[in-house]
Amino acid sequence: MRESMKPVLFQRDTGLFNRLMPTATTILCVFATVIPIHLPGFAVVTPAFVLVAVYHWSIYRPDLLPFVATFAAGLLLDLLNGAPLGISSLVLLLSRALVVGQRGLFVGHGFTVVWAGFVGLAAAAAVFEWTIVSVFYGLLLDPRPFLFQAVLTVSAFPVVSYFLVRAQRGLLMRA
Amino acid sequence: MLVVLGKADILLFDRARTTVSDALAPVLDAVAQPLGTVAAGVRRVEDLFSVYSENQRLREENQRLLQWQEVARRLETENSELKNLLHFEPQDVHGYITGRVIANSGGAFLRNVLVDVGSREGVERGQAAIAGEGIVGRVAEVGTRAARVLLVTDLNSRIPVVLDSSRDRAVLAGDNTTRPRLLYLPGKATVKVGDRIVTSGSGGIFPPGLPVGVVASVDNGLVRVEPYAELSHLEYVRIVDFGLSGVLPQSAIPMPKATKGARRAPDAETP
Repeated sequence: MRESMKPVLFQRDTGLFNRLMPTATTILCVFATVIPIHLPGFAVVTPAFVLVAVYHWSIYRPDLLPFVATFAAGLLLDLLNGAPLGISSLVLLLSRALVVGQRGLFVGHGFTVVWAGFVGLAAAAAVFEWTIVSVFYGLLLDPRPFLFQAVLTVSAFPVVSYFLVRAQRGLLMRA
Repeated sequence: MLVVLGKADILLFDRARTTVSDALAPVLDAVAQPLGTVAAGVRRVEDLFSVYSENQRLREENQRLLQWQEVARRLETENSELKNLLHFEPQDVHGYITGRVIANSGGAFLRNVLVDVGSREGVERGQAAIAGEGIVGRVAEVGTRAARVLLVTDLNSRIPVVLDSSRDRAVLAGDNTTRPRLLYLPGKATVKVGDRIVTSGSGGIFPPGLPVGVVASVDNGLVRVEPYAELSHLEYVRIVDFGLSGVLPQSAIPMPKATKGARRAPDAETP
């Protein structure tokens, strides 16, 4: 009995760090979104890094990125962005719910499948965000920036995903 | 739900936003600074390659500017003499507060930046922000050490302007494109591409005469303005302290002093 207790105890010790990692990386993505890069026109079409993080963790470790953390990340993003509060939270929470429901499609599959899935999510998120923001302001917004942003987010996916996978590997090794 | 709530109780949400921006300003500042340095380094290398042509260009420009200086000097003396004749009271410019951009909105529908100066440095809501040659936007939120500048291209930006040549008044309205539109131009106004646009000062939001931009296109009554300021990659902005009280909705509109405005003013203004 005592022998089997040991690994559990060990897991508990490093557990807090591990358990916070998905949330921490998601929050990091929030900062990455708002930090000025000083590239002309980049601010308008900054990839939605947070969406990548939420997608990734919803597939691989939904238990470690709870609804509360997703909500908080969206809220922080809106606060820093100066966006109407709650819009990002809503988009992220719905994305999370959607992906967690379908995660069986992605777990254990190669990168291409996961990326393809993300294309769908990014498109859906862009359409949804455009709709809700248009409703919020009560006018039809130009959908092109939303489209460009979705394209850029999809293009940035492999890079962000690489770092998230690295982070996750570290998590597995420590656990 | 939060979205609806945010639309209803703007004051509370504004304060929450300001608090968070304030608290995170040092963090953002710390990250933005090295990134800015890297960007500057890259630019310096780029500049090296164009030193000769740049030098040539600057020499020509210098010649031209010297002529302008001459003109400006003459106009200045003329202006001051005329002011003396009219007993004109000049509007006092208190000074500029320079802030570095520490965050920009990474959103498809947002055009604003967070700068690292706040009420500590004397920034107030409603003040104009300029960069380079022209106006960038106005201060929309102020925290102790950070302030949010709503760019002229933002959907919510409305700035009273005037056509420099014809003195026709209009409102410069952002619509999230790079070129804001001119609204409410008088019907008989003739606008042509290249017309200079400056702030009109009506409404007391901005002091009159700040350069805004030039008319970029006139198409079927739809007039678009190309701002002078490079809004796409702002690094530093100057907040202009003109000693005017910033007039913005929900932060104490000065007119009805006796009634609601007076009661609301202290709780909206004091940090």
